Amino acid sequence: MLRKYLYLLLILPLAACIDPYSVEVEEGEQLLTVEGIITTTPGSQSIRLTRSDTYGSVFEGLIRPVSNATVIIRDDEGQVTFLSEDTEDRGVYFTSENFAAKMGRSYTLQIQLIDGKVYTSFPELVNPVPRIKNIETKVVKIAVEGEVLERSGVQLIAELDDPADQNNFYFWRTDQSTYVLKTRPDLYTPRPSDTNPSRDPQPKDCCNVCFKTELLGNSGIYLEKDDIFNGLSTKVPAGFIEDDGKRFVETLRTDLMQLSISQEAYRFLRLVKQQSEISGSVFDPPPANIRGNMISLDNPEEVILGYFIAAGETSKRIYIQGDELDFRQPVVIVPDDCREIEGSNIDPPSDWNP
Amino acid sequence: MKKLLLVFFLLVCQFGLAQTDIKREVIGRDIGQLKGIQISGRIIDEITGEALAGATVTVPELNINRITDNNGAFQLILDRAEYNLQFRYVGYETVDYPITAVGDGRISIKMIQEDFQLDDVVIYGSDPDKNIRSTDMGAITMSMNTMRELPPFLGEVDIIRSLATLPGVSQVGEAAAGLNVRGGGADQNLIQFAGAPIYNPTHLFGLFTSFNADAVNGVTLYKSVIPARFGGRGSSILDIQPKAGSIAKWGGDLMVSNFSGKVGINGPIVKDKVSIRGGFRGSYINWFLGSLSNPDLKNSSANFYDGNLVISAPISENNEFTYSYYTSYDDFAFASDTTVSWKNNSHSLQWKSIINDKIGLEVMGYYTQYDYSIFNRSGINDFDLNSGIKDYGIKAYFYYKFSESNKITVGGDFKNLELQPGELIPSQGVESGILPQKVQDEFGRESGVHFQHEFEIGEKFGMSYGARYDMYGYYGPRVVREYAENQPLSDGTAISETTYGDGSEIQTYNGLGPRGSLRYSFSKSSSIKLGYNKMYQFIHLISNTATIAPTDVWKLSDNYLEPQIVDQISLGFYNNFRGNIFETSIEVYYKDIQNVIEYKDGANLILQNNLETELVPANGKAYGVELYVKKNLGRLTGWASYTYSRSLRQVITPFEEEIINDGEWYASNYDKPHDFTLIGNYKISTNTSISATFGYSTGRPVTFPEAKFDYSGNNLAYFNRRNEQRLPDFHRLDFSVNFKLPGKGKFYDGDWTFSILNVYGRKNPFSLFFVDEQGAPPQALRLAVLGVPLPSISYSIKF
Repeated sequence: MLRKYLYLLLILPLAACIDPYSVEVEEGEQLLTVEGIITTTPGSQSIRLTRSDTYGSVFEGLIRPVSNATVIIRDDEGQVTFLSEDTEDRGVYFTSENFAAKMGRSYTLQIQLIDGKVYTSFPELVNPVPRIKNIETKVVKIAVEGEVLERSGVQLIAELDDPADQNNFYFWRTDQSTYVLKTRPDLYTPRPSDTNPSRDPQPKDCCNVCFKTELLGNSGIYLEKDDIFNGLSTKVPAGFIEDDGKRFVETLRTDLMQLSISQEAYRFLRLVKQQSEISGSVFDPPPANIRGNMISLDNPEEVILGYFIAAGETSKRIYIQGDELDFRQPVVIVPDDCREIEGSNIDPPSDWNP
Repeated sequence: MKKLLLVFFLLVCQFGLAQTDIKREVIGRDIGQLKGIQISGRIIDEITGEALAGATVTVPELNINRITDNNGAFQLILDRAEYNLQFRYVGYETVDYPITAVGDGRISIKMIQEDFQLDDVVIYGSDPDKNIRSTDMGAITMSMNTMRELPPFLGEVDIIRSLATLPGVSQVGEAAAGLNVRGGGADQNLIQFAGAPIYNPTHLFGLFTSFNADAVNGVTLYKSVIPARFGGRGSSILDIQPKAGSIAKWGGDLMVSNFSGKVGINGPIVKDKVSIRGGFRGSYINWFLGSLSNPDLKNSSANFYDGNLVISAPISENNEFTYSYYTSYDDFAFASDTTVSWKNNSHSLQWKSIINDKIGLEVMGYYTQYDYSIFNRSGINDFDLNSGIKDYGIKAYFYYKFSESNKITVGGDFKNLELQPGELIPSQGVESGILPQKVQDEFGRESGVHFQHEFEIGEKFGMSYGARYDMYGYYGPRVVREYAENQPLSDGTAISETTYGDGSEIQTYNGLGPRGSLRYSFSKSSSIKLGYNKMYQFIHLISNTATIAPTDVWKLSDNYLEPQIVDQISLGFYNNFRGNIFETSIEVYYKDIQNVIEYKDGANLILQNNLETELVPANGKAYGVELYVKKNLGRLTGWASYTYSRSLRQVITPFEEEIINDGEWYASNYDKPHDFTLIGNYKISTNTSISATFGYSTGRPVTFPEAKFDYSGNNLAYFNRRNEQRLPDFHRLDFSVNFKLPGKGKFYDGDWTFSILNVYGRKNPFSLFFVDEQGAPPQALRLAVLGVPLPSISYSIKF
């Protein structure tokens, strides 16, 4: 008994705690926010326009798209590309299918809203980017409070030869991933209803192996500048894919993109990263005003959030074999025909080549 | 018969008188000297033989008081007469000591500790009416006994936290290291142990102060008029004096608490001449971090220790050498492969000499080193990032006393500073894809000459004036950038570089810092004082957090970063009541600070060779009024203090993107207008006392986002104007009981201390931050460092 109390006495301290707290924040203006990256990889590239919102406002942080704007991208040779708004996803403006930024050119984004206000970005220069030589993987475990099982996932580590003669700023992102999805149609149990009151499994004939394609969720911002490895062959953490109990059952394929961004864009993304990692701890940096590269041509005082990035881009594909990982989450059982799952297909992608 | 009886009575009377005459000690060899009889002496603890520093020697016949120095020594100049000397010391029985002074001589006084005597517990700071009579302004001496009466922090007496209970002194939050004195930053305080500066006085990221209370004799904080012999920091000097060992016998102490343990030993190496004291304190926090349920804490590890050594050798009556060594070490790995570690090492050697009753001198040299490192062992690009400061110097001054109330002090000092702001070393043995990198070392020299004259005119006026002339130089080797004119300093506006050779001068700054104070006494128990003070500071803490962190960078003034200059004017009224039982004061001050450092948004400070591109100079001002009431005597003792103060900053530069809050004055990170502290200690019985501390202050300023926006899947906050909102108010109650269990034998006769911090479990937010996760409404979260009542227990014995 005494021991127990003694133990309690020792446990209680250092119980720093984090809990919700209600504050009143004044309703602010709704600021135009610009988000978009154009790269040297040909394809339909997009710019997204939204309005900021206030914390704790009536709409609880509903970010509203800005529609019907005229959006153009102009390069330093005067070439103009018009973007057209997506009919479904409002506020997102696309280039044509085969648009690609050119290395060494600089680009500006120009926007005219329906109220006639005109905005422009500062010119963004497209810098060359070295290729990814190799991608290594490493299992990372993350302890979770109150859970016995740790979260885990696969960290992608890019290997590259940094060019010695230039100052490089790198940004990595992952594109769509495809993995082999295994399900258990034999355990299919529909919800009991009047017409089908049974609670027993009603096995389906097909199918238990599919290929599911999805966009990986946001799992951190991966950035680096070459100050500490200029001219070296180096390895840098470049991405993270969380193990949800399904992705690494067999094989997962993903494309890692390596972008060469400008110094200013790097600074912007570094602040975004810094803010997204704030924990309220004693050692947090004070909040910083994240300034973008857009200005209003009508009112220089107007604050425009976000950043227009133009970058050189290379990508590398990797197939990750689940059985080669030294730790995996327990397999999640999906009791259905795998074709019923969103984004999955019974046939492998045409270029599936593990 | 009657006659006989009378004779008998007379005889008895005579006898009695004779007896009192025997008790009156005759001091000195009678050579017929009438004036200027010099009596020196020393006060020690009768049991432990330790010198009692800060004890009061009173000569009631002449109405003079003397305070013993660090070695318990004092000196009196008397005329040939009889005196009833009185010796007093906090927590000790007062000694009455009648003497007849006939010639130069020596007295040795042994005082005995009173163990919570119920009736007349004397808790004088040091000299009961020193606050009224001295011309010092804002010098606060806190004895270790006073600190021991406050509720301990995790079982330990914490010097810095104890000082933060005084008016005008505050801390940023519950886990913040460092003090903010009258609106100044943490780096504006010079914390020195035995005369050597200490750069990071913390354990466990600021939870603990890294000074072992058992190795400390006393602490003095100078916060308004700083004596001219001190310089180099803007706001305050915190002078911590080490405790010398006993010259009489060996002894020691031992303490265990649920977080840490310490052991100390002291005694004479050469009896009655050379004493030594050593102490060590270490933590055993790791085993219980591992037992916590919070996964971050569970996977963390922390170690710390500190050690002290003092050797004191009075080689003659008037010459004394003291060597002091201090070390502290910390490492902390917070749920990751990254370990942060820091250590302090400092040595000092002091020589004090009294040449005659008018002239004395003090010479000291020190060497101090502060190293801090970050070790990354994640398996990818492992590295060590090492930084450090080497600081060594000498100081000397001598004084000449025209009379007891007219004294002049003249001196000088020199220090050499070497800063290593950061060196990145890829781990050996492992293939590492990073380059070794080193920020250029910095070299600076600081020197100063000073004088001060203190005197009294009659009973009513006292005055002290002086000045310190500071000289600073910044030296090569170094490559210094030049920037395009009329443009903000940034990587993009750099136009050229100049290489300076080894030892060549890059930049110098000199400045005259006058100090002065004036006292007028209305009576023996009330006075008014006026003071002015100018300070220069050439070393700056470049920190991106609100507290001192091991990731901070120290930086010397260079051609871009000018010295901080602080001007302070203060006025105080002091009144003691009922024979010094109550002590009250009101002080007002106004401070002007030039070249205080602010940061550009999102400044990058680590491994930064050109810090000037990340910083902007700001103006600062601070003002306030401080009220203080203290009860010195009785079963109930304690104090109440209330401060109303503001600490403001302003950033105006020619470049619009650097201006903060449109160039208007805004609150600094440690601006807390209302600050109230109530402290009480009550003796229940001989063996038991209880104490409680209550603190209240306005919440510190924070920046709330003006808007939220979305960028590539991240919900982000848009911050614009700095420090316009505040955290909720801070308040907390701490409580402790100190008792002895009745029993005999050395090891049962110790002191138990049980304490609870944050009795009613107030969740005082250290910070508020905004989180916007998908699936939940965006909300503010608060981080409370001490969110629950925090108990601790400790047991200590002396042997």
